[in-house]
Amino acid sequence: MHPVEHLQQTLTRRHFFSRGSTGLGAAALASLLNGNAEAANGLPGLPHHTATAKRVIFLHQSGGPSQLDLFDPKPGLKKHQGVDLPASVRMGQRITGMTSGQATLPVASSVFQFKQHGQSGAWISELLPYTSKVADELTIIRTMHTDAINHDPAITFIQSGSQQPGRPSMGAWVSYGLGSANENLPAFVVLISQANALNVDQPLFSRLWGNGFLPSNHQGVRFRAGSEPVLYLDDPPGISRDTRRQMIDVIGKINKMRAETVHDPEIDTRIEQYEMAYRMQTSVPDLMDLSKEPAATFDLYGAEARKPGSYASNCLLARRLIERGVRFVQLYHRGWDQHNDLPRDLALQCKGVDQASAALITDLKQRGLLDDTLVVWGGEFGRTVYCQGKLTEGNYGRDHHPRCFTMLFHFINHSIYCYTITIKIVCQKLIL
Amino acid sequence: MIHIKTMRKSVGVLMAAAAMLCLAAAQNASRTAIDFNRQVRPILSDNCFACHGPDAKNRMAELRLDEKDSAARVIVAGKRNESKLFQRLNHANPALRMPPKALGRTLTPEQIETVGRWIDQGAEWKMHWSYEPPRRPPVPNVAGSRWPRNPIDNFVLARLQKEGLKPSAEASKSTLLRRLTLDLTGLPPTPEETRAFLADKSPDAYEKAVDRLLASPHYGERMAMQWLDLARYADTHGYHIDSHRDMWPWRDWVIQAFSSNMPFDRFTVDQLAGDLLPNATKQQLLATGFNRNHMINYEGGAIPEEYLVEYIVDRVETTAVAFMGMTIGCARCHDHKYDPISQRDFYRYFAFFNNIDEKGLDGREGNAKPLLALPDDAQKARLAELEQAVAARETLLPAKNVDAAMEEWSKSAELSMGPRDAAAHYELDGGYADTSGNYRHARLIRGTPSFSNGPSGLAIGFDGETQMDWGAYPAGEAFSASFWLRWGNKLEQAFLHRFDKAALRGVIVRMEEAASIGDLKRASRIEARLANRWPENAIEVRTENRVAQNEYTHIAVTYDGSGKASGVKIFFNGVPQTVAVLKDKLSGSIIPAAPWSSGDGNIDLPSRAQLDDLRFFARPIKADEARQLAVDATVRAILSTPAAKRSKDQKDRLKEYFLSTVAPPEWRKAHAEGKELRAAMDALNRNIVTSMVMTELPKPRETFVLGRGDYRNRTEKVTPAVPASLPPLPAGAPANRLGLAKWLVDPSHPLTARVAVNRFWQMYFGSGLVETSEDFGSQGAPPTHPELLDWLATHFVESGWDVRAMQRLLVTSATYRQTSQSSPEMVERDPRNRLLARMSRFRLPAETVRDNALAIGGLLNRTVGGKSVFPYQPGGLWEEMAYGDVFTAQTYVQSHGDDLYRRSMYTFWKRTVPPAQMSVFDAPDREKCAARRARTNTPLQALVLMNDPTYLEAARALAEKVMVTAGRDANSRIRLAFQMAAARAPDARELKLLSQLAVRQQQAYRSHPETARKLITAGERKPAAALDPSELAAWTTVTSAILNLDEVITKE
Repeated sequence: MHPVEHLQQTLTRRHFFSRGSTGLGAAALASLLNGNAEAANGLPGLPHHTATAKRVIFLHQSGGPSQLDLFDPKPGLKKHQGVDLPASVRMGQRITGMTSGQATLPVASSVFQFKQHGQSGAWISELLPYTSKVADELTIIRTMHTDAINHDPAITFIQSGSQQPGRPSMGAWVSYGLGSANENLPAFVVLISQANALNVDQPLFSRLWGNGFLPSNHQGVRFRAGSEPVLYLDDPPGISRDTRRQMIDVIGKINKMRAETVHDPEIDTRIEQYEMAYRMQTSVPDLMDLSKEPAATFDLYGAEARKPGSYASNCLLARRLIERGVRFVQLYHRGWDQHNDLPRDLALQCKGVDQASAALITDLKQRGLLDDTLVVWGGEFGRTVYCQGKLTEGNYGRDHHPRCFTMLFHFINHSIYCYTITIKIVCQKLIL
Repeated sequence: MIHIKTMRKSVGVLMAAAAMLCLAAAQNASRTAIDFNRQVRPILSDNCFACHGPDAKNRMAELRLDEKDSAARVIVAGKRNESKLFQRLNHANPALRMPPKALGRTLTPEQIETVGRWIDQGAEWKMHWSYEPPRRPPVPNVAGSRWPRNPIDNFVLARLQKEGLKPSAEASKSTLLRRLTLDLTGLPPTPEETRAFLADKSPDAYEKAVDRLLASPHYGERMAMQWLDLARYADTHGYHIDSHRDMWPWRDWVIQAFSSNMPFDRFTVDQLAGDLLPNATKQQLLATGFNRNHMINYEGGAIPEEYLVEYIVDRVETTAVAFMGMTIGCARCHDHKYDPISQRDFYRYFAFFNNIDEKGLDGREGNAKPLLALPDDAQKARLAELEQAVAARETLLPAKNVDAAMEEWSKSAELSMGPRDAAAHYELDGGYADTSGNYRHARLIRGTPSFSNGPSGLAIGFDGETQMDWGAYPAGEAFSASFWLRWGNKLEQAFLHRFDKAALRGVIVRMEEAASIGDLKRASRIEARLANRWPENAIEVRTENRVAQNEYTHIAVTYDGSGKASGVKIFFNGVPQTVAVLKDKLSGSIIPAAPWSSGDGNIDLPSRAQLDDLRFFARPIKADEARQLAVDATVRAILSTPAAKRSKDQKDRLKEYFLSTVAPPEWRKAHAEGKELRAAMDALNRNIVTSMVMTELPKPRETFVLGRGDYRNRTEKVTPAVPASLPPLPAGAPANRLGLAKWLVDPSHPLTARVAVNRFWQMYFGSGLVETSEDFGSQGAPPTHPELLDWLATHFVESGWDVRAMQRLLVTSATYRQTSQSSPEMVERDPRNRLLARMSRFRLPAETVRDNALAIGGLLNRTVGGKSVFPYQPGGLWEEMAYGDVFTAQTYVQSHGDDLYRRSMYTFWKRTVPPAQMSVFDAPDREKCAARRARTNTPLQALVLMNDPTYLEAARALAEKVMVTAGRDANSRIRLAFQMAAARAPDARELKLLSQLAVRQQQAYRSHPETARKLITAGERKPAAALDPSELAAWTTVTSAILNLDEVITKE
């Protein structure tokens, strides 16, 4: 067994829980928050690289984008268009209940054109013209595979390393391990944008950014579009900033007196948390306020970025969060589940994410943030080579395909070890 | 992985602190005996068992250090230097030192020394402590101390004395009563209760309060709270769709079980195997819902066999944690690495639960089978009444006579063929021919239409890529179009149009985007647009009723050419529909330079529906003609089928037609009434609450060991059995769930009683005597007071598993009655209060934080049990993540009135989006069994307490109360509010700070009365009209500050 894996498995829940309880846990966490947590040396058994990534932006494309229409061209398929997928290719791999009843599994080649881009000569579909321009910043891994064949277990797996609920999510681990570099913002932030495609959408679950068996303060904090980005952030109507300040002062003073009587260090922590809450009430709206971004930003990310809650706006926010020291920004963009009408809906989805995804890379680069930020783009699985439903000249759909799909990564050192599980890549980049 | 590095660092911090705690002990004990289980086994388990433990597949050098005989190979008792174990742990050569460097684990010199001393002292081996049945230890003699109130205290005091510590003084009476009331009911004491308790000077005043609270209806609720976490109780199915389920009758059973002090052994047996008990009662069946609380999947395309395995695995894991504190789940894929549970053990245990009559994918419409129906008395009565009434109608329709009369009629029946003057008629039975005699055959423009069975022969299907042109007629303005329609795709679309895209002229028959109508059904309204120039010169009407998805409906649209909306009529199945007129401004012709067609993607979204029997007329057809086209045609088709060949469905439709239109009036009347009554019965049945339960299949399912835990990878076939390392099933117990349940509560079982009392302890003291209350195994924490744990466990069993008596015992101990006030020295010496030289002080659980505020504000609705409710929640939380409205529980519909103020345990729990303000206070998501919660302290908690309308409303209600009852004096108001919130009087400094806040805020709100009004109208409850808004707002800030105090959300 790989030592990293081994350690992961052998650390006991006892260790984790002890961190969360009062006093000591808080002390340990404080040491993390303030200390320089990056490891100088590697783990035994792994190559000694310096940790290059300090932050992660995970652009999760929920539903499973079609690798065959975006990054993994198969020109040979044209010859086999409409041919029933041979058993010798499928080799008994399971298929979902949505197509297992189909009389035939006709091969569907992509209707989209591919070209090579950049010095790397990466093949990218015409649906992603902006992404094509940053091709040389990307590591395109076309050999991802996963076990689950349905959304729930697949997305739970890619976010937590287990198909079944109950494990901490990737961001929770990073929050736990690295803490936040900004005392006024959480370490792990979640942003959600809605589908561009017309067909039905797949749901998301809060377990995807859950803390599992880690203390709950490592849960991802959802930043939402609209007037109140963090739940309960706003002072209620009728409470002025001044009133709030006075209230927190009184609460703090009485709490302090209590602490002097009962000597519970947890009270001191609580006083500090009220102060942080107060600071968040300014720091978060300031963060979310894009009005001071120059016009060039919106040229880069596209006009959509002005629309709160859009994917483009969330990409821009991701950069702003990273700039302010947030460790892990988890975006979800819904709508990639093209069981039917793939040509229409995939084009709509790509239009929704292409410019902003590329802009994020460009923007991070020009700010010098790209070197130590790991950017991941991808879904929970890929899509079948065969058509779901009726195959016509211009239209087709694709079912879920876990055994081969594509994800994009950005990081400075391309010599990654082709682990096929994202969580490992993320963890590895953070420690190596 | 950086986190592992830092984790080691932090574990180091932890150990350093633990070392501080233990140092004194260690120094005293340097010559005393090493306890294998407490001191040596954890070292071996943490560092060695992964390669030298129970997992046969990954075992190195054939050496097991978790078993005496194998370990003896590397130990020479009494001689550390001759023992290979010690040699390798202590080896000078790093390459030979254990554990191997690559594992990243190192033993401290102290740990190596501990192992060495243990060997020197004879290397006495003991079975892992928790697998030895508890034996009642003698109560330690602590002669000379008058502190102990019951045996618990002797154990605690003996340990303290060993550590050179003393217990703390008793807490003040008011603190005690607040602590006790919060602990036993989850609610704060009222000022009256506090006053009465303070006034009661009798020596047993405290015990009387304990008994009063244990008898409270809220005691059962409080005890249930912990059980709901273990039982992963929720109001939705979880996984992907996460729609609604009803398990609250089971939740109420739990409350009732605690309230009625059901002995814990019965509590266990009823929940695990109530259905297998002889003459099981309804309540015993209901109890088995414990094992149906797991998540249930209904994701489209998921594979049922896969999820069936998940449900059973969940039962295995949950019962193991809840009753035995065992992390048996590890053995799903491989032998457990630390505890003696083989993979085979796992699947033999699995076999107990693999015999339920359930489906792998279910929960589409509420509860998943098997179910228990729970009609209330009124429903039972009404059901009986309806059944009787239906029977009475049926006697008026003697089957024999009806059948004979129908037979007679059907021989000679001649049904109208409907209007014969169609301008075109497409039967669409596989071709495009016009059979009206006008030879206006239709034309395929693009795509390939599909044909499938329709209401009249075949029907044509459109897929969005197919277009048909039907022809350009009639010539005049008036027309009718009549057709059968079946649609499946919810998107808005046009079924039929005759429209000129350039001139924007013509007719479009379409549906708007389909709406969910509950029960997983969608339905859509039908619209007709008639335009001279769309949209400004046009008529548009939309039906009020909706046409259901995936069913054939006959549609007729007629227009009299009058240019008025009133000239357009729409019929569903021959019934004229009420329409909403959206546009009624048409002048000029609607005849376009285009043919009638279906599926043109440039006009609206193209049809993806099936059409059958399409006819056009050059006039508006009449209502009876529409009925003939819709109804009679179907019946005619049935009549033309030979009687012997009619399907059951056809026979039923024929009978329905006969009884509703042809039969004699008295039959028609009885039939119509019967139909109505049956509809009422269906509606009633849908309203009867059910709860999911366990029932056995008559023939057991086969169970196999699943390689790597994968449902596809069946290996050895196994039968139900308990893990081999634990005692066998009691003699004569069947190898089923009932046998399993009896085994768990057999007094010889080493774990059940210990695990149960440990969790009770955790409830009061913040953590259990075994801190890892979910894991009593080798990797769990050892008990801090092992003898006390065993004494409690054996006492519990001997008491007849008397739960209430156990609570009484715990809360009447002197240990519990200590003050929680500490000192800097004690915090340093024992930061987590494992030695119990004081009472633990910790934040209230999530539910209690909210219930406490509601109770203090006087808002709490104290109803016990019932359906879950929907209190305030920020908008959009569910909708942003949910699947969509075809399923239930995708949209948050907030409750109103009293339901806003129910106890938090009744808040509707959606697993994929748990109640936001409870998650912030560490409530688990209820996807999996949870034996304890973390306790965090975060800014998000501050934001909830300051800004959530629940807390603001509670603060305002408290402000109103003190303004009304405490007069005008600021200090008396503050005293009352403080007393209500913290159950004590504020001191002078607190008074001063709060009254200053009151004064400043009154000034502020007086000068801004409009902001005052905004603050006091938070929440649904109206502010007291008699109070001055500015003053009320100011006092609301004061009471809100009080409700935010650490002390108020903390159990002191």
